[in-house]
Amino acid sequence: MDDLLNEFLTETGESIDVVDVELVKLEQDPNNKEVLDNIFRLVHTIKGTCGFLGLPRLESVAHASENVLGKFRDGELQVSENAVTVILESLDRIKEILAGLEATEEEPEGDDSELIGRLDAIAEGGEAAAAEPDPEPDTVDGEIIDTTLGRALKPGEVSLEELEAAFANAPGPGDGGEASESSTAEASDKDADASLFDRVGGEDTIAVAAHLISQRVENDSKLGKFFEGTSQDQRKGKFMGLMLAMFKDDMDAADAVGRQLVTVAGFGEAQFDAMLETVKAVLVECHVDADSADEAVMMFELVREAVINASKEVAQPKAAAGGRAKPGEQQAAASKEPRKSTQSIRVNVDLLEDLMNMVSELVLTRNQLLQITRNMDNSELGVPLQRLSQCTTELQENVMKTRMQPIGNAWAKLPRIVRDLTVELDKKIELEMLGADTELDRQVLELIKDPLTHMVRNSADHGIESPAERIAVGKPEMGTIVLNAYHEGGHIIIEIKDDGRGINPDKLSKKIIEKGLATEGELASMSEAQIQKFIFHPGFSTAEQVTSVSGRGVGMDVVRSNIEKIGGTIDMVSTVGKGSNFSIKIPLTLAIVAGLIVKAQEERYAIPQISVLELVRATSAEKAGDSDHKIEMINDTPVLRLRNRLLPLVYLNEVLGFEKNEEAAESEGDDFIVVSQVGAFTFGIVVDQVFDTEEIVVKPVAPILKDLDIYSGNTILGDGSVIMILDPNGIAALASQGVSDAADEEDDQELVRRAASSDKESMLVFRAGQEHPRAVPLSLVARLEEIDISSVETSDGRLMVQYRGALMPLVLADPAMSLRESGNQPVLVFTDRQFTMGLAVDEILDIVEDEMDIKLASDKPGVIGSAVINEKASEVIDVTYFLGLAFPDWLASRDMSEDTTVSRSSERVLVVDDSDFFRNMLKPILTVAGYNVTAVNNAQAALDLLEDGETFDLAISDIEMPDMSGYEFAQAVRANDDWSGMRLVALSALSSERDVNRGFEAGFDDYVAKFDKDTLLRSLVQQFKIKGDAA
Amino acid sequence: MNDIVVRDDLSLVATGSQDFVTVMLDGQIVGIPVLAVHDVLNAQQITMIPRAQDWVAGVLNLRGRIVTAIDLRRRLGLPPLEEGKSSMSVVVEHNEEPYSLQIDKVGEVLSLDDADFEKNPVTLDPRWREVSMGIYRLKEQLLPILDVDRLLAFESNGKAA
Repeated sequence: MDDLLNEFLTETGESIDVVDVELVKLEQDPNNKEVLDNIFRLVHTIKGTCGFLGLPRLESVAHASENVLGKFRDGELQVSENAVTVILESLDRIKEILAGLEATEEEPEGDDSELIGRLDAIAEGGEAAAAEPDPEPDTVDGEIIDTTLGRALKPGEVSLEELEAAFANAPGPGDGGEASESSTAEASDKDADASLFDRVGGEDTIAVAAHLISQRVENDSKLGKFFEGTSQDQRKGKFMGLMLAMFKDDMDAADAVGRQLVTVAGFGEAQFDAMLETVKAVLVECHVDADSADEAVMMFELVREAVINASKEVAQPKAAAGGRAKPGEQQAAASKEPRKSTQSIRVNVDLLEDLMNMVSELVLTRNQLLQITRNMDNSELGVPLQRLSQCTTELQENVMKTRMQPIGNAWAKLPRIVRDLTVELDKKIELEMLGADTELDRQVLELIKDPLTHMVRNSADHGIESPAERIAVGKPEMGTIVLNAYHEGGHIIIEIKDDGRGINPDKLSKKIIEKGLATEGELASMSEAQIQKFIFHPGFSTAEQVTSVSGRGVGMDVVRSNIEKIGGTIDMVSTVGKGSNFSIKIPLTLAIVAGLIVKAQEERYAIPQISVLELVRATSAEKAGDSDHKIEMINDTPVLRLRNRLLPLVYLNEVLGFEKNEEAAESEGDDFIVVSQVGAFTFGIVVDQVFDTEEIVVKPVAPILKDLDIYSGNTILGDGSVIMILDPNGIAALASQGVSDAADEEDDQELVRRAASSDKESMLVFRAGQEHPRAVPLSLVARLEEIDISSVETSDGRLMVQYRGALMPLVLADPAMSLRESGNQPVLVFTDRQFTMGLAVDEILDIVEDEMDIKLASDKPGVIGSAVINEKASEVIDVTYFLGLAFPDWLASRDMSEDTTVSRSSERVLVVDDSDFFRNMLKPILTVAGYNVTAVNNAQAALDLLEDGETFDLAISDIEMPDMSGYEFAQAVRANDDWSGMRLVALSALSSERDVNRGFEAGFDDYVAKFDKDTLLRSLVQQFKIKGDAA
Repeated sequence: MNDIVVRDDLSLVATGSQDFVTVMLDGQIVGIPVLAVHDVLNAQQITMIPRAQDWVAGVLNLRGRIVTAIDLRRRLGLPPLEEGKSSMSVVVEHNEEPYSLQIDKVGEVLSLDDADFEKNPVTLDPRWREVSMGIYRLKEQLLPILDVDRLLAFESNGKAA
């Protein structure tokens, strides 16, 4: 209401000023239709607005004026000076009321019926008005215009101002009265029962009455003290003047005199009433008929306020000893009232936009200048430039402020919407709005208006439960929605909180599956928060039934995209049964943002600061110490360990389509990681270099670049070069292929876990020597390297290469292949403890995550078997074979001749080994041999499996393991009778006789030296045979 | 499509003669209506835009305005400029958006008689036909006239490249 009223005052004030001017024009040129139309329109607007705001007094005055103007416009009435005067008068009245409104925010009390009457009279037609009894100007000291006359002033008549001046200068009521007695008498003769003035008996009667009244009030116990300070003559004069003015409808004069009536403080309503009684009694005594007396008393009512107010303002200088102050002084006093409305002007929005643009340009130029002088020694420019810089900054801030509006403007409609919703949905909801005066850019405000409304509707519709439900769960019947806005570091945070039912992930899951947005399996691996975030997915609406309120198919995804459009982010926390909390973070303004300047591939780019959380410097893997951040790889996905969380990374180079991932990762030098947040998705953008932060003016990209999501705009930097502004939203979408919500950090951890679990195996596919692809479990590969062929040396008939300060043997993956003549040779590096070898291949093809289903054992050396990977038959290589080739001491002997391909899939084997390498090695070997293999990485896990009721026919265990050794494991197994049927085979590098004996003592059935695959397989066959015999 | 050409024809006939800026593109002379040209610039520093269409050379700064540069050679299927040679820019506007056409060299301004104007021969390379208003017969050679609006109407024929 406050704002509305303020705006109304400003607007109406302006309109009235215009009407004033236009009316004068009209008077000079009564036939100017255009002017008339303009006036009519303005008055009409005032009337309309008044009605809308509930200002009856203003409305009625404006309405009466409009009537007259309407008749003018329609040609029913001729524009006359007199009519214009009355309209002007009514405009003055409107102004008066407006002033009262401005001071008190309420319409001042008062009666306009007389003015309206005159306006109506004019509206009824010039003829009617003229025909009306037209008392010849009755004057005291001059003539008064009869404003009902509807004609121009007659010779001898004077204007209102002159009249007032005359009033003020009147020597005394008595004299004045007598001086004009004759003319008054004439007038009253003509139209005996016309005006009140005549009916009460003209000036004679009034003079007598004034005399009597002044006497009586002096003697009146209640009123006396208010008139003590004045002589009888003065009092008589005042009453006389007042009555004359009133009875002749000169309310301005009456008002002025009324103010002078009482010059002592304390004259209130009661006193005024008492005075009226006196007046009435006197009038009756003076043989004024009852009707006229009543009417006269009514007239007194019109000055009631003036009289009482004057008494209140008694602090003002008392009236001059002469009796009356000049009315002009009164008006001057009145006009001292503050006029707030003049302190604001209305400015065209386009102008502001232009200003903003100009300032933006100025900022750019300033930055350019600063850049230039930074590189100059000449400091002559320094000081003025600094001043310029400061002014520019201030100018920028101030211009920004002109565009700022309180967010409350966007909220104004919400209470009404919520109220309507409570009725429609039969709920009880209280809307609390905090921080409504938080200001933000007009443009931003416009853009968030709808999303906000939508979200509040949502909260009311979906969030808040019905009163019955609320009581049932022990909540207060009245639901609460809290809107909260506040500033936080150059951004505005808006929260929409409700204490409703929250978002039920189970219900959502059903919906998600129904809509095919995710599979059950995917959902099972998601956290509640992740599931809840599905509400931001396109085409999602959770309301069970579509109500008229929300759920029209446009949902939170629209809200999200709208907010992201203005560079904002939205996040949500929802607790089932407790409520939801949406928080929106938006920039203060769109035009100028802080941008982080980064470099990728010799080109600079800006990343909006709002989406940058932090900067991390990562050392390249080789040089990294334990404490440094380094980029690690999962499959081919680069990640960064950051405070115990895994941060998915994208290479800006790659996003921009410059370089392949591996090359970027391996390129020397440190990487800079810009940790960015898009919604709840946090990820790192790896860039080549980070410069500083600059204020940049966002300019939209050309239409042909509009469909490039990775840019949000472009800008000109201080040095004059144009750079592109990256859009983290677009990059995130590109990086996660449109699953930005699901690809939470937790998700990536999920991925890690999944990769480590037994179902799927990641295979590195490469080609070496022959056409068909070959594969090796990725987990066995330590690194992929490109080795400069010139650095390969031959030593003792074997290929060696300097690698990380040591000699690494290089083995060809296929006898048929040869090293390249020049350039780089791709090499797979395998490491097992101190042994590190390189396997030279022709080409690395791919990394495939698939179930490892090895079809055939092969009798080819170095090949475990073949598997269908990517729908192609691929040979799975046996890394142990190559390790054996590289290090003759690594594997004692090998013999692949024995056929081990008997199907034994019913035989379940448990492998317990802490070495990833061996587990990964053994599993395919045993699988190929036909066993059903389960692998765990420690003895306790093995025992847990057994506790859980899993049964195995045989367990192969390492001896040396942390926490629980193989011996202890064997003892534990043997201690439990349930597991007595399980054979135990020890597999250890510790193969001294003592160790073997100890193993047998602990309960192992066989003891096989590590690295001896064939012995192991033979041992297994033997053990199963024993077991079969025993059974 | 055709009627636009016809209308252009008529307007050409009506005014008698028209002025064109000639530019060189891989040895071919091409005319651009002089009224469409806002600016001619020497070699500029152009910021490339990764992932944009290949005929978008990048963006450049023209006195505080960001101008999108179009590689006219690529746009018309011509081989790229030899290494070491820098292109010049002819700045035109389309839908109030400034574009810079990267060309080899700016020639002269010719005032040409409408009588020498002819429609595109139907056998013209479609890529040229698409952006050429028609051809002027000069004494020594032929001068295709570039239809700037058609050239820059990416919204409708963005696939052309």
